[in-house]
Amino acid sequence: MKVKAKAKGDITKVKMMFKNPMAGPEEAKKKKIKSEFITQITAVYNGAVVYEVTTSGFVSKNPLFKFEFKGGKKGDKLEITTVDNNGKKESKKAKIK
Amino acid sequence: MDRRKFLGMGLAAFAAVVASKTDLSAVDFRATKPKAWEAVDSASAIKELYGTGGLKESKDLKLKAPKLAENGGSIPINIKSSLDLESVALFQDANPRSAVAVFTVPANGIVNYDLRMKMRKTSKVTVVAKGKDGTLYTTSRNVEVSIGGCGG
Repeated sequence: MKVKAKAKGDITKVKMMFKNPMAGPEEAKKKKIKSEFITQITAVYNGAVVYEVTTSGFVSKNPLFKFEFKGGKKGDKLEITTVDNNGKKESKKAKIK
Repeated sequence: MDRRKFLGMGLAAFAAVVASKTDLSAVDFRATKPKAWEAVDSASAIKELYGTGGLKESKDLKLKAPKLAENGGSIPINIKSSLDLESVALFQDANPRSAVAVFTVPANGIVNYDLRMKMRKTSKVTVVAKGKDGTLYTTSRNVEVSIGGCGG
């Protein structure tokens, strides 16, 4: 997972890149791999959720997501958490630049 | 896969859902609206997710998508809105199931989302957004796909 967060004025722009095949059941069968896709991504700043999405296997593989939120100070940390369809959880803290 | 392993996986998934609920107070649309993720076309997915209320075409809900996508495996999508929204959902009719992503708009969130999605063939891409007052907004765009993605 790669996360880039940049504060500009009162808005923080965030870019996230994940390593995941994003293979739903049909695609996994065709490629003969295990079905694996991210089902949820959450971003938490200062104890509050600032971004939240539930996803399906139809998002591109190794997905790239971008979003913005109000607030966010330089040097503070943003925590991104993903959960996949197999229940695997990953999280990462990124410094806002 | 043996039964024990399968059960274990189910438990792990359940635990993850519960954990994310408690420590993030997040809305997991997969748990609350499981049928919406199984729906094969946009119309029924929207019905499962937002009910049968009337949809209102809105200029303030913007969907940016290429008219012609060369690679169906990676279609850039941008959803932008100045409306006071509660949630935003993205659907298409090209893949086995319709729902791609459902966003929950937090208190200090801005509706300006970028993501990339897969499409097997040419189809309509639809965005439905629910306002805080309950109004359902919609906008759609046709995306032509020359080489299908999604395992094609």
